[in-house]
Amino acid sequence: MTNNFELVGIKPTPRKETVQKEKWYKGKPVFSGVLLALIAAGCLLGGLLMTEDSAALNLQNCGLPPNGEFLFGTDTMGRDIFSMIWLGGRVSLFIGISSTIISTITAIVFGALSGSAPVWADTILMRLTEILFSVPEPLLVIFIQAVLGEANVFSLSFVIGVTGWMSMAKIIRTEVRQLRGSEYVIASKCMGGGFFHILKKHLAPNFISSIMFMAVMNIRNGIMVEATLSFMGIGLPVEVISWGSMLSLSEKALLSNAWWMIVIPGAFLVATLMCITSLGNDLRKSMNRGQGYF
Amino acid sequence: MSEKKTDGEILLDIRHLTHIFSFPKRVTVKAVNDVSFQIRRGEIFGLVGESGSGKSTIARCIMNIYRPCAGEIIYKGVNVCDLKQLRKNKRMLDTTRQLIFQDSSSSLNPRMKVCDIIEEPMRIQRTNPPRGSYRAEAEFQLYYVGMDASYLDKYPAELSGGQRQRVAIARALAMEPELLVADEPIASLDVSIQAQIVNLFRHLKKEHGFSFLFIAHDLSMVEFLCDRAGVMYKGELVETAPVKKLFENPQHPYTKRLLAAVPIPDPGRERARKGNRW
Amino acid sequence: MVKTAGRKFLELLLSIFFLSVIIFYIARLTPGDPLISYYGERVEKMSPEERERAEERLGLNSSVSNQYLRWLADAFHGEFGISYKYKMDVTEVIGERIGNTFILGGIGFLFIFGGSLLLGILCAWYEDRLPDHMICKMGTAVSCIPEFWLSLILILIFAVNLRWLPSSGAYTIGIKRSAADRILHLILPMTVVVAGHLWYYAYMIRNLILEEVRTDYVLLAKAKGLKKRRIMFRHCLRNTFPSYLSIMAVSVPHILGGTYIVETVFSYPGLGTLIYESARYKDYNLLMFLSLMSGALVILCNMAAQVLNERIDPRIKSENMGKAPEGIGL
Repeated sequence: MTNNFELVGIKPTPRKETVQKEKWYKGKPVFSGVLLALIAAGCLLGGLLMTEDSAALNLQNCGLPPNGEFLFGTDTMGRDIFSMIWLGGRVSLFIGISSTIISTITAIVFGALSGSAPVWADTILMRLTEILFSVPEPLLVIFIQAVLGEANVFSLSFVIGVTGWMSMAKIIRTEVRQLRGSEYVIASKCMGGGFFHILKKHLAPNFISSIMFMAVMNIRNGIMVEATLSFMGIGLPVEVISWGSMLSLSEKALLSNAWWMIVIPGAFLVATLMCITSLGNDLRKSMNRGQGYF
Repeated sequence: MSEKKTDGEILLDIRHLTHIFSFPKRVTVKAVNDVSFQIRRGEIFGLVGESGSGKSTIARCIMNIYRPCAGEIIYKGVNVCDLKQLRKNKRMLDTTRQLIFQDSSSSLNPRMKVCDIIEEPMRIQRTNPPRGSYRAEAEFQLYYVGMDASYLDKYPAELSGGQRQRVAIARALAMEPELLVADEPIASLDVSIQAQIVNLFRHLKKEHGFSFLFIAHDLSMVEFLCDRAGVMYKGELVETAPVKKLFENPQHPYTKRLLAAVPIPDPGRERARKGNRW
Repeated sequence: MVKTAGRKFLELLLSIFFLSVIIFYIARLTPGDPLISYYGERVEKMSPEERERAEERLGLNSSVSNQYLRWLADAFHGEFGISYKYKMDVTEVIGERIGNTFILGGIGFLFIFGGSLLLGILCAWYEDRLPDHMICKMGTAVSCIPEFWLSLILILIFAVNLRWLPSSGAYTIGIKRSAADRILHLILPMTVVVAGHLWYYAYMIRNLILEEVRTDYVLLAKAKGLKKRRIMFRHCLRNTFPSYLSIMAVSVPHILGGTYIVETVFSYPGLGTLIYESARYKDYNLLMFLSLMSGALVILCNMAAQVLNERIDPRIKSENMGKAPEGIGL
């Protein structure tokens, strides 16, 4: 009997299979990413793709179905839909992103303040948001639009941003409330940490992951709301081209059965939104996985 | 035993401290009831008592986490219950007193690296690091508590309980405070690490003249480490005395009961003490 | 119990009061001419004296605060003024249309409620298998389609091209009170309303149920040998029901209020179009009443949801109070 303790029955086997390296793009929404990139590129390089000067109203050509000259047809005012798609895409995407930036910043400030305030101030702030929330949306939009004067891209982004921060603020407030009681925040306070320091170093990293997903969704909502508002007439005027304003003329298209005016801008809209949504979902999944590590 | 800076000056003076917690539905709990004691510079004061006797509450009142309902806490001549004085001396108060929490896993931000955690107080106070950079300072403090520089880039989740507690201590020491309030710092550690940390505290007191408020419920530790001790029972400070006197000649009946509950490692003596019940 | 109900009622009144003030001031201060909705195009041709007389008749010439106080006094008597556009009492105008909106919104709500429950259960049952994936993917896709676009497409296909269904209105003029006719007119708008919201709630139910499924007691039930169907229905579903109810409570104003897009495209005479019109053309009295109604609905539903939540999980109440220690500073 040897002194060494030997396990019986185990034969050392060499490692035959090499660990298969997962391709980095496995499981990610490749298709959406690529499609979105294509659309975005197309919009940015709009000038190169335009076959006709889209601002030109060519009443001779109004209402033509897609043909060789006008790839996507023309609308009721004679403008080339193909060029308008790329130009309009730029506007729509811009509004989506800028409105999200506005709403996210407002939500963070409001949520953090509300979460760190004493209970009575918090209740008042929350009730205020609820009341603001209960004002019917068209009213709020019309009011802000009217106050800001003419409806242009920036005012619309502002409007959409200002009406959309409430749910994010509520989530931030809840998270901040919870984190306030954790010991490392107390420790930081004891060391002399001020409000902004604690916000930056301790609170923000924890709620950023919650709102990252919401922010991406807000981009999507921003684009959708812009399209809806322009369609209803309280968004961008017809002269400013965006996917939404293109669709605002489409009601007349119904009568003449000019399907291309409705289907094509809408299809682009839906495709872009779907890409953003699937990217957002993937983001959320990876965030959740990251959390589980602890 | 040459001890630095034991000039007998009173560092912390607590007078008639009372704190009441109020809950919804009119329920109130008197956590601390008319407690008074003093801590001199360079001494280790132990505060013992069972769970719920109000020890942690006192610690938090001292550190201004809670605002006490009545009484005064005078630290280096500044009454920290008075808002005006508090604000005026904020910097001094924040740098010369530090708190070590009981639960190290929740007192360290899980998303921060060890070096960030230790550097945080220095960054907040924007002090000039005597060893060059913040990171070098953090490394020095870690070394002081017995961990080497490889731990600087780890996250708290990757450390064991004892290591985390030592990081918390390093963080408290980074500012070179004069008063360290330790709220049951060794309660969740195993015995060998406990010994290490207690020895570290003794070393700090001897070499650097730190004053400690050492809160524990382990009487043998208190006997080993502290100069003076106080016994808390249901929010009241029932007895205060130098440790030797307290353990040899307890006055208050509760203290006597508490001491009687501590088992003596030698079975013979223990049996003799218990009066041969077996 | 009565005391809390009384307090909540007071909160409701207070909130509605604040809401009325806000809306009143917003509406009045917005640039724009309310006379247009009353007199139509003739406004431009009116001389200044005529304008003054008209304003006086409508009570628009005093300061905003005065107008508000007068409105408040009238409101206590139950008189909410006259709609400028329709020249009828506000309550009458609303009364005509409220039925339509409730039919569209209410029945749509029931469909959404039931349908999402079914879909959600289906997804949770076949979790991670084909039906689940299919439903989720379709859900995400459909949720990206703007409501108005869907309405347009449906009209294009079904009304213009196939001519199966009518494209607008709630009923055909001339045919009175025929249920079948009404239903025909309802199909397309209802489809849009339901399709727009169904997937969102189905996904939410799916997640709620799955959260329940991952708990330890379900594992125990499976280990004990309970059949899947029994676990799902008797245990998981029952536990998620309260949360689902509170979510539904909050969504009532959202669904009812969101019908205005569909109503506009389909020219469906309902409250949604009224809100939009009154806001656009500054029909003050109508606007006030409608806004107050919708505001009250939102606040009520939020309160109901909060009460439900607090009953289910008493911890939420204390969380709302904030667990942070009182102290100086943050």
